[in-house]
Amino acid sequence: MKFPFHKKIKTESETVEIAEEFSKLLIPGEIVLLNGDLGCGKTFFVKSVCRHYGILNVSSPSFSIVNEYHNDKNIVHFDFYRVKKIEELYDIGFEDYIMNNETIVFIEWSNMFMKILPKKNYEIEIKFTNNSEREISIVKHG
Amino acid sequence: MNVLGIESSCDETSVAVISEGRLISNLISSQDFHTNYGGVVPELSSRAHLQILLPLVKQSLAQAGITLNQIDLVTATAGPGLIGALLVGLSFAKGFAYSIKKPFIPVNHIEGHIFSGFLMEEKPEFPYLCLVVSGGHTLLLLVESETEIKKLGTTIDDAAGEAFDKISKLLGFGYPGGPKIQEAALNQRTDFVDFPIAQCKNEFDFSFSGLKTSVLRFIQKEYGDASKIPNEHLPSIAASFQYSAVRALVVNTDKALRKYKTNSISLVGGVAANKMLRDEFQKLAGKYKKKLVIPSAEFCGDNGAMIAYRGSQLHQAGIKYSFDFNAFPSLSDHTFIK
Repeated sequence: MKFPFHKKIKTESETVEIAEEFSKLLIPGEIVLLNGDLGCGKTFFVKSVCRHYGILNVSSPSFSIVNEYHNDKNIVHFDFYRVKKIEELYDIGFEDYIMNNETIVFIEWSNMFMKILPKKNYEIEIKFTNNSEREISIVKHG
Repeated sequence: MNVLGIESSCDETSVAVISEGRLISNLISSQDFHTNYGGVVPELSSRAHLQILLPLVKQSLAQAGITLNQIDLVTATAGPGLIGALLVGLSFAKGFAYSIKKPFIPVNHIEGHIFSGFLMEEKPEFPYLCLVVSGGHTLLLLVESETEIKKLGTTIDDAAGEAFDKISKLLGFGYPGGPKIQEAALNQRTDFVDFPIAQCKNEFDFSFSGLKTSVLRFIQKEYGDASKIPNEHLPSIAASFQYSAVRALVVNTDKALRKYKTNSISLVGGVAANKMLRDEFQKLAGKYKKKLVIPSAEFCGDNGAMIAYRGSQLHQAGIKYSFDFNAFPSLSDHTFIK
């Protein structure tokens, strides 16, 4: 996988393939940002990556704000969707989560609080292009 | 025996007292703190739990007419939830129990919901089928006894309540999504759009992500985007969505009622406040001739009463916990649900 990565996808299994390839690159301490409209498949992408680490219980953290999963890798899965103020993230202990070198951190809707994000990250954007297609792009920063 | 129950797993801080098996106080921050102490309660904040907890405990004891030393058992939610928020209630409970030399019981939040029907006059009878539906959880369970709970199905993506919240935001109704969608959908046609009901590999699992995406796709295809939906279409879209979401919950419950021998049905959690869901469960109960227990609204959302109740249940079962018991973020970390 070379960055920046772009691909048009038509089916779920194409997302799974990209996620599998991407999962092999990730190492503990890295941060993955995911953005794109409601229903574009951010959680599905995280779920597909985690499947390759033997983690099968990934679900949406929109309500809980943060989920943790453990198996071959330790994963922290954030969703900023319901967060209103940056103080809430500090209060939840966001900095402790992202400074942990033993976990991989996924953040859905990261664009809502760009200020709080580390400069070094993978940024994934998923776009609807038309009714049956989506476009996934992955950029490596820092 | 006086039991103190503390809940602080998410947005709500709640404190309750159960005395001789009877609930005598159940204070919930969003309703009770506001009015009595003034000021805005910030959401999702451990600091907010910290500020509210002590006054709420004092107020609750005053309402119960007892003093600190008259508490015989201290219970608190230990998980699942936000670690920072959980730690506030749990650490307080441990410190308090230690100082008055009384036992302390950590409670699983979901188990609190599962047994919340026992706070009602008419209680569920074992074994019972329990559907837990809230903003963060969707679980179908066979509750065989106080310590044997079999998980039949769960959501593989979004929780039911989350689907309501997201679609409500999409349609411009705002938060909280459940009541807003319900209000808009009242007396509207449910067949305006035929939204799908997901079929999962495990016949009792749920999926609400596909439903969310299909509402979104419908809007994009028909109107371009949500801002261009004619006002007169909004209620019918809301009603069609609500119908599909409720059907998905009902269909799996129906299947489970056919497969498992049960004496009662219990519908619990925040989404149990939904009128259509309640009505559909009444029909199910009638169809299978089962006793149906749905807690009243104050016990559907997060509350301290269910924590105090579940804590006393575990205490009576002779289960003991030490003071080094820690908060846990995920449901699977510490539970009788297998």
